[in-house]
Amino acid sequence: MKRLASVLTIFFGVFVMLLPQAGALTKDDGNPNGGALNYGEYGRPATLDPITSNDMIALRISELIFNGLVGIDEKQEIVADLAERWDISENGRMYTFYLRKDVTWHAKEGEDPMPFTADDVIFTYNIMMHPETITPLKVRYEFIDAVTKIDDYTVEFTLKRPILNALAKFSFKIIPKHGPQNSEFLAREDPFVQNPIGTGPYLLKNITAEREIILVANENYFKGRPHIDKVIARPFADQNIMGQALMFNAIDMIVLVNHRDIPQLQGDKRFVLQPYNALSYSFFGFNTRNPTLADKRVRKAFTYALNRKEMLDSFFQGQGTIISGPYAPGSWAYNLDVQPLPYDPGKAVELLNEAGFVKGADGIMEKNGKKLSLTIKVPIAKESEAVKRVILAFRNYLSKIGVEINAEFQEWLAWKEDIFLHHDFDLMFASWVFDDSADISSLFHSAEIGPWKNNFGAFTNAEVDGLIVESKLTLDHEKRRTINRRLHEIIADENPYTFLWTLTNYAAFNKKLRRVAIHPYKFFSFADDWFIPESEQR
Amino acid sequence: MKLASIKPITVLISRELAIAALLLLGISFLVFMVLFLSPGDPFSSLLKDQTASSAIGTAARSEIGGPAPWYYQYLAWLGNIMRGNFGTSIRTGLPVLREVIRTGINTLYLTLGSLLITLLIAVPIAVFSARRGFTATNWVLTMFTYVVSALPVFWLGYIVIYISMHRFGLFPLAFGSGAQTWSWVYFMLPVFVLGLSNGTMSEVVRHLREELSRVFSEEYICTARAKGASIWKHSFKEGFLIPITEIVATKIPFILGGAVVVEQVFNWPGMGRMAWQAAQDRDFPLILGITLMAALFVRLGSLIERAVHIIVNPRFAKE
Amino acid sequence: MKRYRQHSIEFGNLSDVPFWKTAGPIDLVYISYGLLVVLLVFVSYVLGMTGFLPFDPQEINLELLMAPPNTEGHLLGTDFMGRDILARLIIGIQAYFLPGLLAIALALALGTCFGVLAGYWGGGLDTASTYVSNLLNSFPRLVLILLMVAAFKPDIYLVMTVVGITNAPTVASLIKSKIQFLKQKNFIEAATALGLKNAVIIIKHILWHNCRSVLIIQATLGMAEVILIETSLSYLGFGVQEPTPSWGNMVQSGANYFMQGKFWPSTAPAMAILLTIMGFHLLGDSLNNILERKRDQ
Repeated sequence: MKRLASVLTIFFGVFVMLLPQAGALTKDDGNPNGGALNYGEYGRPATLDPITSNDMIALRISELIFNGLVGIDEKQEIVADLAERWDISENGRMYTFYLRKDVTWHAKEGEDPMPFTADDVIFTYNIMMHPETITPLKVRYEFIDAVTKIDDYTVEFTLKRPILNALAKFSFKIIPKHGPQNSEFLAREDPFVQNPIGTGPYLLKNITAEREIILVANENYFKGRPHIDKVIARPFADQNIMGQALMFNAIDMIVLVNHRDIPQLQGDKRFVLQPYNALSYSFFGFNTRNPTLADKRVRKAFTYALNRKEMLDSFFQGQGTIISGPYAPGSWAYNLDVQPLPYDPGKAVELLNEAGFVKGADGIMEKNGKKLSLTIKVPIAKESEAVKRVILAFRNYLSKIGVEINAEFQEWLAWKEDIFLHHDFDLMFASWVFDDSADISSLFHSAEIGPWKNNFGAFTNAEVDGLIVESKLTLDHEKRRTINRRLHEIIADENPYTFLWTLTNYAAFNKKLRRVAIHPYKFFSFADDWFIPESEQR
Repeated sequence: MKLASIKPITVLISRELAIAALLLLGISFLVFMVLFLSPGDPFSSLLKDQTASSAIGTAARSEIGGPAPWYYQYLAWLGNIMRGNFGTSIRTGLPVLREVIRTGINTLYLTLGSLLITLLIAVPIAVFSARRGFTATNWVLTMFTYVVSALPVFWLGYIVIYISMHRFGLFPLAFGSGAQTWSWVYFMLPVFVLGLSNGTMSEVVRHLREELSRVFSEEYICTARAKGASIWKHSFKEGFLIPITEIVATKIPFILGGAVVVEQVFNWPGMGRMAWQAAQDRDFPLILGITLMAALFVRLGSLIERAVHIIVNPRFAKE
Repeated sequence: MKRYRQHSIEFGNLSDVPFWKTAGPIDLVYISYGLLVVLLVFVSYVLGMTGFLPFDPQEINLELLMAPPNTEGHLLGTDFMGRDILARLIIGIQAYFLPGLLAIALALALGTCFGVLAGYWGGGLDTASTYVSNLLNSFPRLVLILLMVAAFKPDIYLVMTVVGITNAPTVASLIKSKIQFLKQKNFIEAATALGLKNAVIIIKHILWHNCRSVLIIQATLGMAEVILIETSLSYLGFGVQEPTPSWGNMVQSGANYFMQGKFWPSTAPAMAILLTIMGFHLLGDSLNNILERKRDQ
C-alpha cells in the first residue's frame, strides 16, 4: 500500500534527562557479538542520506547509520543521543544543547576518525534549510529562527515562537560537515547521498552491484559496539518471492509483512511475528467541491453503508482497529469517547433520502433526474490486492444502498497529480502515516486548500479552523488535549473522510534474533541491542 | 575467411553503423516526445513534501534543468549525450550511463542465455522434423514448443520457483551475498524460464524447419546427396546459419520485453526492472538511457545478422 | 508478429478447387481447433449478454474468499473477492476482443499503407518506410508500452494502439515483399499494359487477390499476441484494471496465493490463455500452410 507521509510532528512525553552514559565501547549487557542480519525490503531506496531521502526504506536505513541530537527510547520518551544534556530557556524560545565529546564519524579503514562537533549540527541545519536542497524535512523546521555555535560542543537554537514539545523535533539526523562535496546544499548528484557517513551503530560498507546495502558494526560507536556484526538490506521486486525468501532462510527478517502471509507465518515455529503499532490510518477522502459530497448527510451515509468490521476481518485477518476520527489510535490526541459509526445501511438510505435522493427505476439513487454516480481514484499497487479488495468491497457496499461507484486505478504519480494538483476526483483512497504524533492542521485547515496542499478535499469548517489554531498556540498539554478531543468530535461528525482503520504492522523474523524491539515508525532505532546467540550465528 | 569477403563486411559494417546512429537519433527523439507530451511532472515526486513553498520548488526545478522549450531541452540533452554525458537519474542521483551499463550487462546475460536455451531446444526439434517429416514423436515435440510459447512467463516463473523450493529446497536468488555453492543453479533458473516461455520457441522451430526443408529439396543438395556427400556440409550455411541469425536478430526486442517480467520475478538486477521503476518515477534521463541501450542491443543483433548473411553469401552485400 | 516467406501469386480466382481439398489433414485439424477457439469468443459474448452464466461474475462474497474448486456450486472455486472464477473466465476473453481488434486493424491498415507505398512506388518512400520500420522494431515493445502507460494512463486501448503501431512494420514488410515478387514476375507491368488504373491494381489485384491471406494470418496471430502482452502487463500492474475481468489480471491475482500452495485461482485462467493462444497460433500457421503454399504442393 502506498503511503503518504504526513510531515508535521508534535510529540508528547515527559522531558527526561538522562545522565550521559559511560563512553565504553562494548555493551555491558553480556550478550554475544557476531552474526549477520539479512533483511528484505520491497523496493530499493533512492538515496541513503537522511535529508534527501523520502521513502520508508531509506528512513529505516538512516536510523542505523545516523544519530540525532535527541533520541526516543522504547517507552516513547525523549532521551539523550548526540547531545548529552540540554537547557530550555524560561520563555521557551532558546534551546541549548551540550554535545557529547566522545563521538566520532565513521572512518574508512586506515583513516583517523573525525570528531563530531557543533559545526556539524549547524552545517546540517543549514543544508536542510537551503532553498536548493530538496527535502521533505524543510517544512518541519521552519519554526527555528536561528542556530548559533557557542563553542565546539555547544549549540543554541532560537525558535520563532515557543511551541509545545519542540524537543522531539531535534531528533533530526546529523550529517558531517566533511561529508557532502557541496557545502551549501545537498543535491541528489552529490556522492554523499549514496555513500553516507554517520555516527550511528552501523557504517556503510558497500552497496553491491545488486543494490544490496551492506552495513557493518561501528566498533567505535559511542553507545557501545552493536552486537550484530553485519546488517544487509536486500531489495525484492516481488512480495510473494520475498515472503518465500524468509521461509527458506534466504533472509532473516521482513520489516513489513504482507497481510496475506500472516496466517502462514503464525503457524511456523521458526519465526517470530512481532506487531508494531504504526501511527497511520486508511480512509476514503471526499472531494467537497462536488456539490453532492458537500452535503454532510451524503458523506455520513457512505460511512454508514460500509461494514468496516467485515472488511477488516476478511482482508486483514482482523489485525487492526476501526477508527472514528482523524488521529491514529495510538496517539494521545485520539478521543476514545467518539465511537465509529456502526454498519447501518438502513440509516444510510434514510440519510440519502433526507438529502433529496430517491431510488430510481434501475435501483440507483437519483436527485432531479441525476444519478448518484461517483468516481473513486486509487493508485495502483502492483501485488497488493489489499487495496483492490477494499475498493471492490466499497463499490459493493455502496451499490447495495443504490450508489454507483466507478473505480479508476491510476499510476501513482498520475494519481497524486489528480488528487493534489488538479483536484479531479470525487472520492479517493489513501493512508496517512504520521511520524511521531498527530498534527492534523495541514489536513483539515481551510488555509491548506490549494495545489499540492494536503487539504485536497477542500474541507472547510470555521470551528475546526479556530480549534486548530488554538491548539497550535497552546503551550499547556492538558488544555491542548481537550482541544484535540473536541476537534476529533467535530471532524468525526463532519465526516470529511470516511475513516477506516489503523492496521497493525507486523515484522517477521527468524527466531535466532533476540531482544528485538521495534520503533513504530523508524523501525531500527534499537537495533544496536539486538543480538544472535553464538550457537545460531552462521 | 577469404580476403575478398572482408571488404564487403567492412563496407557493410560502416553502413550499418551509420544507419544505427540515425535510428538511435530517431528513437531518442521519439522517447523524448512521449515524455514531453506526458501530463506528468518528474519533479513532483521529489517535491511532493515541499508543498508549503512553491518558490522552493521553482528554484530546485531551474537548478535541474528548468522549463525551457522542448527543442531546446532536446538539443541540450543530445549535446550532452554526444559528449558522453547521459545525465543523472532524477530518483537516485546516480550517473545514468554507469547505471545503464551495469544493469544492461545483467540483462544481456539473461537475454543471451535464454536465447541459447531456446535454440538448444528448438534447433534439434526443427532439424529432426525437417529430416524425418511428419511423425508422432516430432508432432509431440512441436506441440510442446507451441505450449511453452503460450504460457504466461511470470506464471511459469512462479511454478519453477515453487518446485525448486518445495522439491529441492533451493531458493532461487541468483544474485547477492546469499548465493554460494549452488549459485550457478540459481542463475540458470531465470535463464531457463525466459528461454522456454519468451514466446518465440514455436516460431523458431517453424521457421527453421521450413528453411531446412526448402534447402534440402533444392537441386544442389539433391546432387550432393546423389554423390554421397554429406548433406550437412552443404546445407549448413543457408539452411541453418542464416535462418537462425535472422530469427535471433528479430526476436531480441521480444526477449528484452520478457526480461522485464522475469527480472521482477527472480529479483534479477537488470535493466528491465530498472525500466519498470523508471517509467513509474518518470525518471526521464534514465528512461532515455535505457531505451537507447536496448535499441543498441537490437541494432547489434541485426548487425550480426547482416554480417553473417554476407559471410555466407557475399552477393548480398551488393543489395 | 511472425514473418513468413511468400511463395505464390494469384491472378484472380484461377483455381476453383477449394483450399480444404488441397490441404493436409493435420492442418485441417489445427484450423478447426483454431476456429473453435474463435467460436468460443462469440459464445462468451452470447453467454454474457443472455446472462446464462453459473454466477454473476461481479458478485462479491466475503464469506467465501479463495474457495477451492467445487465448493457451493463454484466449479472452479472463487477468487480473492469470493467471485466465481468460471464466470469470470467466460467473460474474461471479452477484455481482449475489442482492444485486440483495434490493435489488429491499426497494424493492418498502417502496414498495408506503408507496404504499398514502399513496394509499389519504391525509391525514397521505400527508404523512409524502411527507416520507420527499423525504428519501431528497435524498441523493446514492453518498455515502450510501460512508458506510455506510466506517462498517460493504464488503459487497454492505449496499450493496444501502441501494439498496433509497432506491429505495422511486420505487415508492411510482408506486403512489400509480396509486391516486389509480383513486380519480378512482371505481373504489374502486364496489368498496367492492360490499361488498369493504379488504384484498381493495388486494391483489387494486389491486396485482394494476393495479400488477403497474409492479412488474415497476421490478424489471427495478432490476437494471440494481444493476450500475451496484456498478461505480462497485468503482472506489472498495468493491465486491465479491476473490476473488469481479464485472464491476465486473474492469473496475476491468483498467483499471489501460488506460493501458499493455492494453485487453482491462477491455473484456470493460465490454461485458458494457453489453449487460446495455441489455438490462434495453430490457426495462423495452418492457414499459412494452406493459403500461401498450395501452389507448391
